[in-house]
Amino acid sequence: MDELMKILQELRPDVDFEKETALITDGILDSFDIVALVGELNDAFDIEIKPNNLVPENFNSAKAMMALIEKLQDE
Amino acid sequence: MQTSVLERLDASAARYADKVMFKDPEQSLTFAQFDRLTKSIGTYLIGVTKPGDPVAVMSGRHVFTPACFLGAVRAGCFYAPMDGDMPKARLNQILSVIQAPNLLVDRAHLEMAQTLDYDGNIIVMEDIMETAADEALLSARAATLVSTSPLYVIFTSGSTGKPKGVITSHLSLMTYIDSVCKVLDINDTDIMGNQSPLDYIAAVRDIYFPVSRGASTFIIPKNEFAVPTALFATLNREKITALCWSVAGVELPAKLGAFDEGKPEYLKKLCFSGSVMPCKYLKIWQEHLPDVLYVNQYGPTEATASCTYYVVKEKVDDDTVLPIGKPYDNYRIMLLNDDNTPTPDGEIGQICVSGPILALGYYGNKEVTDASFIQNPLNANYRELIYKTGDLGRWGGDGNLMFHGRMDRQIKHLGHRIELGEIEETARLVAGVKDCCALYYKEKATLYLFYTGEATSKEIVLYFRANMPAFMVPRKLVNLDEMPALPNGKTDMQALKAMFR
Repeated sequence: MDELMKILQELRPDVDFEKETALITDGILDSFDIVALVGELNDAFDIEIKPNNLVPENFNSAKAMMALIEKLQDE
Repeated sequence: MQTSVLERLDASAARYADKVMFKDPEQSLTFAQFDRLTKSIGTYLIGVTKPGDPVAVMSGRHVFTPACFLGAVRAGCFYAPMDGDMPKARLNQILSVIQAPNLLVDRAHLEMAQTLDYDGNIIVMEDIMETAADEALLSARAATLVSTSPLYVIFTSGSTGKPKGVITSHLSLMTYIDSVCKVLDINDTDIMGNQSPLDYIAAVRDIYFPVSRGASTFIIPKNEFAVPTALFATLNREKITALCWSVAGVELPAKLGAFDEGKPEYLKKLCFSGSVMPCKYLKIWQEHLPDVLYVNQYGPTEATASCTYYVVKEKVDDDTVLPIGKPYDNYRIMLLNDDNTPTPDGEIGQICVSGPILALGYYGNKEVTDASFIQNPLNANYRELIYKTGDLGRWGGDGNLMFHGRMDRQIKHLGHRIELGEIEETARLVAGVKDCCALYYKEKATLYLFYTGEATSKEIVLYFRANMPAFMVPRKLVNLDEMPALPNGKTDMQALKAMFR
């Protein structure tokens, strides 16, 4: 989780990732944030995020992103 | 010959009355409904404006926003669109340049509008939508327009740290729309999928193809671009046939692997512009959609959206470099050397444009206008203005123009035009930043800021987020003990570029 928070804070220091739970739904992260984030997460956690993983439920909060990362690491 | 876009709107409203003109996920407007709305808004605005006034418009991504634009035109005025998602400081800068007596907003933006440094009249669109149209007043105001009257002012980055408002006339816009429609064969069976923010130059196609050709436009919600499968599902649900997107927008679905899950089944035409297309992404589109017409466009806002086009007939490879092609009808392109002599074929020179598509200049800025729009140095006999784009080009052997980058420090990032100088001017306003240099790492589409001083990267990013559009916020910040310098004392940009990672 620490590593994820570090990546998120570097990407968007203006966002409180501890609290936000509608990052995509509310448009806080835009498409270009997502492109940058997907690349960083794939590298940092040695996973491959697929297009069908790119749904709001998986990226609306830091917790949801962590759950996705763990799921993909188990596969 | 038409004097204004209103003649086109009148004609299409009569011909396509019950057809959908604009649609968003919440609602849609038919041509008749849209037309009536512009007349209601126009009639109200006539009461509070003089002919030829600017009307600032700040409204969201929905079907009523284009109605506000055309409503202002119905009042014999021109519109200056503003993106309400931009930071307050930026909006204040735009308002200080345009000096509009009236600001038209949707209710969702009212609260924000009231916090701006603006002492003019704020009008809420929802409050005036039911105004009874007064045809006599509307005709009188329409008669004040000539084809060279301003239609809109669109703001773009300026190197001195202040945005520049590019003024486009009815004539220029209609000329461009007719030329691009011919190439893309846009007609009343087309359904456009709008990607561009509605305040941005690229949206003129999505707004004026319906007005001019009876096409329909669906306004795609912004956050669908972050969810590629939802994006393609929307294109299919709405049976979208034509897309005029920024290169960055075309790259997105290919980059995020959207084609693994499906494809836009109804798409016939894809035109892209804004920056150089990396062909490894275009290749993915071509492989999945071989029968689509692909058109590469080039051109600055100052020459009404695009000057040249290239129809991509060949199958591209990862390393294909697309030409920017041939001039659109009614656009003249010439290449000039630094000493204002003509550039011989096969050599690189500055791309200069002339024709009825030249902007009327920068709003309220004679100095920069006079420096950018100049008398054609090759014509000593009569007045002929040209616009020097600052872009470099070369005529290829096949008569197609090739693009060779910029002469200055202007870049294209995420489809937007940015002056690196403006990033630096902004960074210098942050407490604790001493010296700085903004650079663009093109291969990774990343905006870098190198700086000295004790400011933290977080402080700098927060300042940018509060004052600049999101696309102008540096992604990577590098704090240095001192700036590498060349023997002449200037910043050594090559040494900084070596730090890209």
